[in-house]
Amino acid sequence: MKLRVKFNKKNYLKYISHLDLIRLFQRSFNRAQIPVKYSEGFNPQPRFSIAHPLSLGIESCEEYMDIELEEKIDPLDFMESMNQILPKDIQILDCIYPKDKRPIAAIISLAHYEISFGLVEDMDMDEVKGQIDRWLEKEKIIITRIRKRRGRQIKREQNIRPLIKKLAFTNNKENGFTIETLFKVGDGGNLRPDDFIDALIRDNSNFKIDKEDIQVKRLGLYIEKGKRLEKPIW
Amino acid sequence: MMKKLDKVLSQVLKPARYIGMEQNSIVKDLDKASVKFAFCFPDVYEVGMSHLGLHILYNLINEREDYVCERVFSPWVDMEEKMREEKLPLFTLENKVPVKDFDFLGFTFQYEMSYTNILNILDLAGIPLYSKERTDTDPLVIGGGPCAYNPEPMADFIDFFVIGEGEEVVLEILDLYKKHKDQGFNREDFLLDVAKIKGIYVPRFYKTSYKEDGTIKEMEAIVADVPEKIEKRMVKDLDQMFAPEKMIVPYIETVHDRAVMEIFRGCTHGCRFCQAGMIYRPIRERSPERLIDLATKLIESTGYENVSLSSLSSCDYTQLEFLVSSLMEKFEKDKTGVSLPSLRVDSVSIDILKEIERVRKTGLTFAPEAGSQRLRNVINKGVSEEDLTTAVSYAFKEGWSRIKLYFMIGLPTETDEDVLGIKDLAYKVKDLFFNRPREEKKGSFKLTVSASCFIPKPFTPFQWVGQNSIEEFKRKAYLINDNIRDRRISFNYHSPEVSYIEAIISRGDRRVGQAIYKAWQLGCRFDGWSEHFDFDKWLQALDEANIDGDFYALRNRSFEEILPWDFIDPGVSKKYLFREFKKSLKEIVTRDCRLGCTACGIKDCAMRGVFN
Repeated sequence: MKLRVKFNKKNYLKYISHLDLIRLFQRSFNRAQIPVKYSEGFNPQPRFSIAHPLSLGIESCEEYMDIELEEKIDPLDFMESMNQILPKDIQILDCIYPKDKRPIAAIISLAHYEISFGLVEDMDMDEVKGQIDRWLEKEKIIITRIRKRRGRQIKREQNIRPLIKKLAFTNNKENGFTIETLFKVGDGGNLRPDDFIDALIRDNSNFKIDKEDIQVKRLGLYIEKGKRLEKPIW
Repeated sequence: MMKKLDKVLSQVLKPARYIGMEQNSIVKDLDKASVKFAFCFPDVYEVGMSHLGLHILYNLINEREDYVCERVFSPWVDMEEKMREEKLPLFTLENKVPVKDFDFLGFTFQYEMSYTNILNILDLAGIPLYSKERTDTDPLVIGGGPCAYNPEPMADFIDFFVIGEGEEVVLEILDLYKKHKDQGFNREDFLLDVAKIKGIYVPRFYKTSYKEDGTIKEMEAIVADVPEKIEKRMVKDLDQMFAPEKMIVPYIETVHDRAVMEIFRGCTHGCRFCQAGMIYRPIRERSPERLIDLATKLIESTGYENVSLSSLSSCDYTQLEFLVSSLMEKFEKDKTGVSLPSLRVDSVSIDILKEIERVRKTGLTFAPEAGSQRLRNVINKGVSEEDLTTAVSYAFKEGWSRIKLYFMIGLPTETDEDVLGIKDLAYKVKDLFFNRPREEKKGSFKLTVSASCFIPKPFTPFQWVGQNSIEEFKRKAYLINDNIRDRRISFNYHSPEVSYIEAIISRGDRRVGQAIYKAWQLGCRFDGWSEHFDFDKWLQALDEANIDGDFYALRNRSFEEILPWDFIDPGVSKKYLFREFKKSLKEIVTRDCRLGCTACGIKDCAMRGVFN
């Protein structure tokens, strides 16, 4: 029995890692006595998975996980008992028994982010906007990823331009600006906000972004159905 | 402050160390509090949160509606750097307000190598380091815990010490403070008053003079009405005593990620090197009924999947089999396990090991402490080689294959033969694994042998003996290392340099404080962490403070000498300690006092009533 759950992660709790979050849910299931299925074997673990983990330090309005249950329980009861136990900045927003049995991570392919930048010096925002638009007209934006494997460093180049599905200016703040973006996530290509931010700063030297004044928030995750975007749970 | 904090947090490792907000943490309205207490474990969050004493005092104080207890830990080095850059003062995790705004800042003294961290915390909080420089607007800085039994090295920096068990006395202190605050607070008056509470030591009211040879001539009170001898405080009945029924559950992984409950306090074995075994006397057990109830509540309130039965020597608990099987029965369906730290080789009950192993099997650790029977008699570790081989053979038979053995080097009277006994014992354990029928050999064998450098501690029978020199420790460690030629046995040893500094501080007097101050000034932090310990800086600090380290670490003391901690009464008598020291030199064993009182001097001890 698969229960699909939507939750958020806000304020200071953006500073707890993915592994910490898993432990938090695990203990909260125990306390709320949720009949979660356990894996077989020597070291049984509760079976639940969170789709597309957030990087440390990023808030999110809508995250998703699938939980395997031993028996069907009332979704409202689940929400109520979990939310009493969970901290106020991580709360269950909704849950359903999905018809689509594929794992949640496999069906989500886009992540919606809001990124706001502070600038070191005041700039005309239209100029900044024009600059970024021109930057996005390029066919290739290459980043170099360094991976460590068995003590060796492996450099890999990657074109991230196809992973940026949409980018829009939403508002100008004092001495800075905010954009909303749709990035690919999952097996069909994955773009992390910090890689995007690094490339943006590297390629746009006419305006100086204050690296210590960047806020990233994930607004949601989406399933692509043809040209339409759907939320896993509305 | 919040904006700065957010900026800093996004730039440091494990920011969750600094955010608080964990399940079961308590955030009160500070404006409504009549007394605000900041509890500090002077090490990084993950270490401090694993300390049971924190959970006890935190919940005890917060149970009082108008009292607040909040937590503070040492920021890791990256965080310290950012905080200094941003001029962010040290804050508590709950309300995230400056520590300086609290009425009390209470440090727990768990190990000497955290003392530079204590000074650093005062500095980061903007509190003057020296007690004499603080004013009415500064918090009262207090210290407690096992290392406070020799408070002298930190006497210049701490306003007063609590000697003994904190839960017994902390509310008395806060009540007195509230009374003073209501009547118009004056720091000096409060200190004079608090000094009258049993177990409280206010260093500024005492003066020490020294002889020409550097030893203590006299320590005397310089104000009227303060006690000459400070008697430790202790809880009489553990069942009646406050026990936290919930614990803060950290988000990040900590040293012990489990619920913990104390099954008894004190220890009856009388190992002669062990300070805890002496200062926590007498033995006091909690009843199994209370513990089962407590475990149930802890699991319910935390969601932990393991409960640890904590004590100095858990296998000594009178009704251990009953307790463990009751707990296992109760929790097994919820996949909750029970763990027993501090196993003693002699008392590993086969049934208990079997019970615990039903859920999960981990590595096993044994602590024979010394390599030869002769030396084990000297230190009164009542464990025979047969005890060890029986326990280990059983463990191998049941499928364990990873064993750790703990030893000490540099124990009094130790010869090279004793040292090589460590190697011999390791090889015997290895042979026990391989000399079994092929079908019984499960898993891949791994034996880790660890040796720590013996540090003589106050209030132990070895408080009079000199430590081995660094060179001698190294020679002994190499002797073992060069003789272990089997890649399935790995040998490691603690740093002799760290042990030397720890020995200086643990038996130091008031003058040693200056060296700690200099070391902090030179940048020493996290001295208990090998990657941060800087021996050269410590040597420089000792030199600048005019402290001869060898005088404190290596010198043998005579019985007549006045020791810096003699003014503290830990319950066990100095006569008993000296008698034990004499017996050790003759290799005479003293029995476990459960088998009959050994006259250690503790008053009102159950062992005396029951067994004599």
